[in-house]
Amino acid sequence: MHTSRNTSPLHRTSHLRHRPGSRRLTASGLAAVLAAGLLAGCAQDGGGSGSGTSADGKTVVSVGVFGVFGYKQAGLYDEYEKLNPGIKIKENSTERNEDYYPALLNHLTANSGLSDIQAVEVGNINEVANLHSDKFVDMAKAEGVDKSAWLPWKWDQAKAENGKVVGLGTDIGPMGVCYRKDLFKKAGLPTDRKDVAELWAGDWAKYVETGEDYMKDAPKGTAFTDAAAGLYNGSVSSYAVKNYDRDGKLIYKKSEAVEKSWDLAMQAVEGKMTGKLKQFDKAWDQAYANGTFASVICPPWMLGYIKEKSGPKGADAWDVAAPPRPANWGGSFLTVPEHAKNKDEAVKLAKWLTAPEQQAKLFEKQASFPSSSKALSLPAVADAEHEYFDDAPIGEIFSDAAKDIPTAVLGPKDQLIQENIGNIGILQVEQQGKSPEEGWNAAVKKIDDAVED
Amino acid sequence: MREVGTVQTDTRDQTPEPLTGPGAAQGAPAPGEGPSGGRGGRTATTKRAGTAGRHLHAGRLTYAVLSLFTLGSLFPLVWTAIAASRDNQRLAETPPPFWFGSNLIPNMTTAWNDANMGKALLNTFVVAGTVAVSTVVFATLAGYAFAKLRFRARNALLLTVIGTMMVPPQLSVVPLYMAVAKLEWANQLQAVILPLMVSAFGVFFMRQYLVNALPTELIEAARVDGAHSLRVVWHIVFPVARPAMAVLGMLTFVMAWNEFFWPVIALTQDNPTVQVALTGLGRGYIPDESVIMAGAFLGTLPLLIAFALFGKQIVGGIMQGAVKG
Amino acid sequence: MTLSRTEPATGSGKPPVRPAASGGGSRAEERRSRRYRRDARWSPYAFIAPFFLFFAAFGLFPLLYTGWASLHNVSLHDPTHMEWAGLHNFSRLWEDEFFWNALRNTATIGVLSTVPQLAMALGLAHLLNYRLRGSMFFRVVMLTPYATSVAAATLVFALLFGRDYGMINWALGLAGFDHVDWENGTLTSQIAVSSIVIWRWTGYNTLIYLAAMQAVPDDLYESAALDGASRWQQFWHVTIPSLRPTILFTVVVSTIGATQLFGEPLLFGGSQTGGGSHQYQTLGLYLYEQGWFNFHLGRASAIAWTMFLILLVIGLANWLIARRLQRSSSQ
Repeated sequence: MHTSRNTSPLHRTSHLRHRPGSRRLTASGLAAVLAAGLLAGCAQDGGGSGSGTSADGKTVVSVGVFGVFGYKQAGLYDEYEKLNPGIKIKENSTERNEDYYPALLNHLTANSGLSDIQAVEVGNINEVANLHSDKFVDMAKAEGVDKSAWLPWKWDQAKAENGKVVGLGTDIGPMGVCYRKDLFKKAGLPTDRKDVAELWAGDWAKYVETGEDYMKDAPKGTAFTDAAAGLYNGSVSSYAVKNYDRDGKLIYKKSEAVEKSWDLAMQAVEGKMTGKLKQFDKAWDQAYANGTFASVICPPWMLGYIKEKSGPKGADAWDVAAPPRPANWGGSFLTVPEHAKNKDEAVKLAKWLTAPEQQAKLFEKQASFPSSSKALSLPAVADAEHEYFDDAPIGEIFSDAAKDIPTAVLGPKDQLIQENIGNIGILQVEQQGKSPEEGWNAAVKKIDDAVED
Repeated sequence: MREVGTVQTDTRDQTPEPLTGPGAAQGAPAPGEGPSGGRGGRTATTKRAGTAGRHLHAGRLTYAVLSLFTLGSLFPLVWTAIAASRDNQRLAETPPPFWFGSNLIPNMTTAWNDANMGKALLNTFVVAGTVAVSTVVFATLAGYAFAKLRFRARNALLLTVIGTMMVPPQLSVVPLYMAVAKLEWANQLQAVILPLMVSAFGVFFMRQYLVNALPTELIEAARVDGAHSLRVVWHIVFPVARPAMAVLGMLTFVMAWNEFFWPVIALTQDNPTVQVALTGLGRGYIPDESVIMAGAFLGTLPLLIAFALFGKQIVGGIMQGAVKG
Repeated sequence: MTLSRTEPATGSGKPPVRPAASGGGSRAEERRSRRYRRDARWSPYAFIAPFFLFFAAFGLFPLLYTGWASLHNVSLHDPTHMEWAGLHNFSRLWEDEFFWNALRNTATIGVLSTVPQLAMALGLAHLLNYRLRGSMFFRVVMLTPYATSVAAATLVFALLFGRDYGMINWALGLAGFDHVDWENGTLTSQIAVSSIVIWRWTGYNTLIYLAAMQAVPDDLYESAALDGASRWQQFWHVTIPSLRPTILFTVVVSTIGATQLFGEPLLFGGSQTGGGSHQYQTLGLYLYEQGWFNFHLGRASAIAWTMFLILLVIGLANWLIARRLQRSSSQ
């Protein structure tokens, strides 16, 4: 039985006849390998992620994360181990949440293979909270957890309907708008970040209007924004109610948020102001390097990405302005499964890692924006500037946005809905030349099919 | 697994020159009396068949076409190395780089350290090696039975084996994980090894090979002399099957080496295989593609080295195996 | 070697060994012959037992579980909780346009990738069959795509097929052609995905064919040459007919591979949707989307079983055709 992802013909055979020539050595060598393999398999019986104690008798707390949390890189594990000599921290990291989350669900079902701390992405937190709350420690009841340290909307995201809080907030992604001053200037738009923010303050529709202005006099080969799906994401995230109403009913087909945001995206496509790109695609990276779009809706965690992809050529070009309306994109939570081997130590560590001081340190080193309101007022955050973005006061810009982000009503299928609207509906119109009706119907069909039992 | 142990022990008892195929068929000493003969016939057979009849010399056009395909085959791999030798930022630029930069070693070092590569390579070697050996041994036994022995329900069982090749692999992961979890094998190598120990394809492959390659008279002769079936397997079937075993072993090794979907779920970064370790690479809000490519290159490198070292034998195994005896 | 020979080989051929042949009637021989018969009777089962034991543990259980799950509503969130759904998961496929779309795509990508792959492999094998300098080098090189990780290969192909900055479009531009939006076109995206498959497996098939070609008896060529057949005629009238069993076999194996195609389209677009209009979503990818993205394990199981049944039908058809060919050629 094979479980390979590359399921093109795995094996081929050939018209073989025997070959003389003895290779006894090979045979015995292979047999030895086999024996060694079985031995190794048996020898590791005591191992595994959650043995709980290390060889030197320390309690091992394992932390399962996806992508970068930066705890290791920022030296937080070392610091904690120094503060707590009996503890050793071990991180299990998977790059893509698409690999990480299904594995986590599998591990939860089987009650095995779980790390003591499991990170959960905001797109999955509602599902985890409402479908699996019995499998996680209630963080609200953990000793010394101070609810008021977090931004209220962040705290509530991990709250199940039964009131249990399954995770502590790590970072958030308040959105700003990153823009290229050189292109804005050529198109006759203002370049100062205050003036730019003024262009669209208060309304995403104004962002699209600015796009129309830009396109009237756009430098050749450039677009105003990278992708219509990015615009949709920014706009829809600025509403409290989008796909689900407060009773948990699926209302995306008639919600104001979805309708308005969809229309804006369509308007942008029709105005030919988008670069027709798919975010995080290879071509998106290349478009940064070639400077072919003038603005992108960007949370703090994207700044490093833009810097990396735009390179020295874009060094004096980029700046960041306040968004039309505050909205959040991304962020995560630390949870502790009930079946964690070292549950108590895990809760302590999760608490410490998400405390304001640590969040501030993480922001300094890794640009993960704090979800702790206390951390936001610490100087390390409040006074932060970003050199690549012309010393933009990112601490101030994003903190302002963070404080006004609405407590969004989340639902279990948010991610699925967003993905299908973006990668099916909008993409069909933007890249495949279909009409908005066709695009919308295609997305709805797919979503209905997926959410139906 | 007991069978495997037997194999290992028997290896030592094995006399140096096992019987080999049709060349040794005529007038070969019965295997029961010890396989000491057959040497002369064997070499002669190879010689004649290896060179005879490949009548036509290749023209320039042939070389041109083959060189073109060589370029095509090597390009993605070479480009992986080129990408691994650059930095993340350069990779976003257009046109993409076509020659090596200076970052190969640093990127590979980063990949090695970040991805727990030392352990991963060792683990993968253990997994792929075990899987390859067991698949080959079990497949040869079963393939031989299906090809040359008569027993009830043989056809039905063979069709069952072939049918199992058609099961899409993605779904088995869920029930398999539940089983593995029950056995408390999560994050242990046997969770990855045991499900791969046998392969329907391998059985079918060996069966098809042995149907043609193993002369029935050879077995008959041995059986007439009262050789026990294990003796027949050891002294006749295995030697005849060796080239096919080598090919199957290589295929299985590469397959197990690149196995992804299941190990990612069954193992963690604590105790990874190469493919699992690579998922932890270049992570972050700014995935470092040059490091990811360096990891991919590192993960393929051992296979390449094996090809370079044993390529002649492996490919030779296919070719010479094809020779008409 | 081929399915076509399965039947005669496993059919009612003569028993390979006749114990009675040794004749004689002494008691020792009788005892020996009894032991012999026991051995002859049971050893086949012992030889196939390891496969079936492992298969039962790690293959059959998932297969049955999947079959059982396909009759239920099951969520990936809680695979142990099943709600009886009867044949609904199967019957809904009938009206599921995404399923039919995926089936169509799987078929076209299967043809687009398998046919050129095997044809090119055949041609290359023929070339490699000449007397050749550095033949070993070429043969080893042919195997490298098989060892290259799919992820690395796919990234390279994404660079090749990029709309704005892809190398192929760049070359087209140099030649004065318009850029092609490879990923967004139905046919173009399927060509792109197929090309990855072709790249990975052509060399491998080449070696299979080459091996089979080297097994073609020389006298066939010699007599053809005596009859004045040209190279091309020899290839066409000697090589191809001799290879027919192998060709049929590679077609079967490639068909199984093509039906389960999953990794290449997933990585090509980076999404389980297989393009904005699912224009290159294969059955394998659709199964993955339903199971691992939409979390409908029951539906995914039903798709898996449907794929299984489709393959069985194809396999059966292939077998029947092969038998027919065999019959007609032996007459």
